[in-house]
Amino acid sequence: MRRALDLLFAGALVLALTFLCLPLLAIFLRVSPETLVRQLGSDVAIDALVVSFKTSLIAHVFILGVGTPAAYVLATRRFRGRRLVVALVELPLVLPPAVAGLALFAALGQRGLLGESLDAFGIRVPLTQGAVVLAVVFVASPFYLRQAIAAFEAVDPNLLEAARTLGLRPLGAFRRVALPLAAGGLGAGSALAWARGLGEFGATIMFAGSLQGVTQTLPLAVYDQLAGDFDVALAIGAFLVVVSGALLVVVKFLPSWSSFASIFPFRSAPSGSS
Amino acid sequence: MRRLLPLPLALAAAATLAACGGDDGTLTVFAAASLREVFPRIDAAARYSFAGSDEHATQIREGAPADVYAAASPRYPAELASEGLVEEPVVFATNRLVLVVPADNPAGIGSVPDLAAEGVRLVIAAPGVPAGDYTRRALETLGREDVLAQVVSEEADVKGVVSKVALGEADAGFVYATDVAPVEDDVHVIELPEEAQPEVEYSVAVVRGSERDRAARAFVERLLGEAGREALREAGFGTP
Repeated sequence: MRRALDLLFAGALVLALTFLCLPLLAIFLRVSPETLVRQLGSDVAIDALVVSFKTSLIAHVFILGVGTPAAYVLATRRFRGRRLVVALVELPLVLPPAVAGLALFAALGQRGLLGESLDAFGIRVPLTQGAVVLAVVFVASPFYLRQAIAAFEAVDPNLLEAARTLGLRPLGAFRRVALPLAAGGLGAGSALAWARGLGEFGATIMFAGSLQGVTQTLPLAVYDQLAGDFDVALAIGAFLVVVSGALLVVVKFLPSWSSFASIFPFRSAPSGSS
Repeated sequence: MRRLLPLPLALAAAATLAACGGDDGTLTVFAAASLREVFPRIDAAARYSFAGSDEHATQIREGAPADVYAAASPRYPAELASEGLVEEPVVFATNRLVLVVPADNPAGIGSVPDLAAEGVRLVIAAPGVPAGDYTRRALETLGREDVLAQVVSEEADVKGVVSKVALGEADAGFVYATDVAPVEDDVHVIELPEEAQPEVEYSVAVVRGSERDRAARAFVERLLGEAGREALREAGFGTP
């Protein structure tokens, strides 16, 4: 009976693995690897690569620049309603992307909440490359924030206290103690957010539209080429599988790298001012 | 016991998949997005998928369980017929391409040449989507392909163009005359010069190997018969 149970559980694992991996494998097996590589060099694929790289890079600057200090505050300060704030920050994680697109329209669309005020400054966001960036920031930033809050919470508060008693200002403690100690977790969150941003589809196609070379990101190009050149769609799909896989490896291994780094926390801190 | 345990599981899985297959005998019609309003009036009981005709062609090639394929261009049904995937297609309706602008017309557009003005945000259907191909053909006839430089988004089907204009996000878009009715309060229609009007024809075919080919044939007959023609004309389509 015990053996039967083991077999059943192992069978479930095999089933799950097959179900999850077979479709991904099929992308690579449908046409030859040479075709995949050649089609990745097509105009549509190259344009989509450039758009995706550019928009996700800009989005990432915003996510890290604003998200890091925001996460630090949420991780180190205790205030009323903190849990509510954390929950709000995480809401886009569980939100359907189509709702994200709708929400961005409602806020920034021509007839949206802020649309008219923006229009007064000559700014029209929807259907532009800026709209792609905003869609990516909206759906991807919670992935970074969540991971960053956890990473900062894991930093021993005594170390921050010690840094302060040794004369470091709060900003110094943040830069030279908290940041290096949380680096692994922050890196993992960053990779996770990048992967989610690169895959963003629903909010983008609604809010930014789809135009080759301007707003057509890699996932949008896959969708567009499905009815056009299927091999191009496969090539972009294969590329995204590889990149997402690489990012996942980073997510998995960076946190353990940080526990190594925490043995020598101050070595990675810049020397000088103190 | 050892051997029997997985059996109920497999049975349960098979039952679940079968239940999700949706093969409950309901007729499945793949129809051009522009037929969204009129087709349910011709047969309310069928199950519909409305999308760009090029996307449906791909799905049928990949084995999607469609029984009837109605496209906004004779091109894809003819292609599928020559590949042996659908039966002989028949033209059942015609349409007109028009230019629409938001009701308040923020860019002050009155004709196609106005689209070339700086800052105009034009939305059209993507190449390969029938509405997109008709749009490019009309602009070519007018010798105004320069306005394609104003395109800010290429939509996967014509309804995407309609909604971007109706929401006021685009300053103008090319859609079918029949697309206007559901959003008539939000858009203003500008007719194209007669000589630029492309020949917009809808073609329908029964998908080969359909398990419901009798129902599929009945649907096509109804569409081509008086009931179908009347509904199409009421919705603004032309009938051959």
